[in-house]
Amino acid sequence: MRKLYLSIPVVAFCLITSAFAHGPVRQKVEEEITINAPAQKVWDIVKNYGDVAWLPPVKSVTSQGGNEKGATRVLTLQNGGTITEELKKYDDAGKSYAYKISEMSTEKTISHAGAEEKVPVLPVDNYAASIEVEGSGDTSKVTWKAGFYRAYTNNNPPPEMNEEAANTAVKGVFKAGLENLKKLAEK
Amino acid sequence: MSLAKIPSFLLTFAGLLLAATAASAPLAYISNQLGDSVSIIDANTGKVTDTVAVSGKPAGVAVSPTGDRVYISTPEAKGFAVIDSQQRKVIANVEVSEGSLGITISPNGETIYVADWYNNTVTVVNSGSLKITGKIAVGKSPSGLMVSPNNRWLYVANRLDNSVSKIDLIKMTVVKTVTVGEHPFGLTLDSRGERLYVANVKSDDVTVVDTLPMKAIATVKVNMLPYATALALNDSRLFVTNQDDGSVSVIDTESLKEIGLIPVGEKPEGISTHPNDRQVYVANWFDGNVSVIDARNLKVVQTIKTGEGSRGFGQFFSK
Repeated sequence: MRKLYLSIPVVAFCLITSAFAHGPVRQKVEEEITINAPAQKVWDIVKNYGDVAWLPPVKSVTSQGGNEKGATRVLTLQNGGTITEELKKYDDAGKSYAYKISEMSTEKTISHAGAEEKVPVLPVDNYAASIEVEGSGDTSKVTWKAGFYRAYTNNNPPPEMNEEAANTAVKGVFKAGLENLKKLAEK
Repeated sequence: MSLAKIPSFLLTFAGLLLAATAASAPLAYISNQLGDSVSIIDANTGKVTDTVAVSGKPAGVAVSPTGDRVYISTPEAKGFAVIDSQQRKVIANVEVSEGSLGITISPNGETIYVADWYNNTVTVVNSGSLKITGKIAVGKSPSGLMVSPNNRWLYVANRLDNSVSKIDLIKMTVVKTVTVGEHPFGLTLDSRGERLYVANVKSDDVTVVDTLPMKAIATVKVNMLPYATALALNDSRLFVTNQDDGSVSVIDTESLKEIGLIPVGEKPEGISTHPNDRQVYVANWFDGNVSVIDARNLKVVQTIKTGEGSRGFGQFFSK
């Protein structure tokens, strides 16, 4: 009986430590959508790196370098936050490009584990993504993929900067973007 | 009991068993970090023969020299899992520390080394007892590690210190540290223990280190986010996974020049060479598969489906 009495807090303690004590694991989001429009029409909407009018969370964009590797674009979001992205690969014939986030503004500052933590507008770290349009006759498939880490790079993340927050945010952007792209391309 | 008295069918059976053992294929153990599993690939057929459940986000891989045990680091379980290659299941979980990632075993099979990403230490574990026998202080965020062929030295990439340390395994202390490129991660030692090749994730290059004086002798530019390296064809070619380019760079180890770039899957990470010294296996993290490269003609000859988030960080082949 005494043994059982003692074991409950021990078990509770183990559960807590195992849930929080670990190194960051890279996360992955992949979304795709089928669009009833030829691939070229869809690609024409997304192909200019400096033009992201098709992406609803973005209010405006400035860019330099065109569609050359190394080109940069600064997205200003509806809420005023900014994300700077660098073009890493561009393949017009293959209808795809890949990019990385190089800088982000802070959405808010929180206090966690005795330190001030800046939560970036997209709560991720080391984010790389690619978008590709594949055609099949009159329809096409758009695939948007990203690999990234949670925003908190140390151990024991706050909820605003954990894996769930990162995945939810990226998925939200991808879904909204692809659905809007479909709407524009099928017009 | 003399041999003559053993029924002949039993001898035949024993003979068959021996033949089966002698002909057993090399196996590749690929950790699938998001899938919490390890895929076991029969390298003769190129097919996954088993998938072993391993909880704790398996990442690093080390295989005992005899191939009977496989050690898989499990960062979320704060240590490593031990797989028995006959039973093809986890037979033990060893708790080490909270940032366990890089893992290797000495060539004599006696000692396992686990790098801790947060605590800046390498933990020493006896492979027989699975007990921790010591801890060695190293640089910041130790990642890839490898022991010299004579079991005397341990080399560790200190990611956030931009350096590689040489550890004397008798004195259990760092004897020399050399500055390399930015954010070194995976490293490979040649078969004679004379040269180290270190992939620098942030500076997109590979540092070549002469291990005797522990001096950097060359820096070879590769592609975006190099992660890990492997040698093939009698150490004449070095293969480097470029994570963000979805490719593998090929370096001639004599001229120390890049001589090829092979497209593989997305986010290639772990890389190891088949014991035949000709095929190089690459784990593609995003695609959840393995590309098999022919080291001679520099082409992908096969793609093998594995699991979610294939990482295979370390020397993942058994002989």
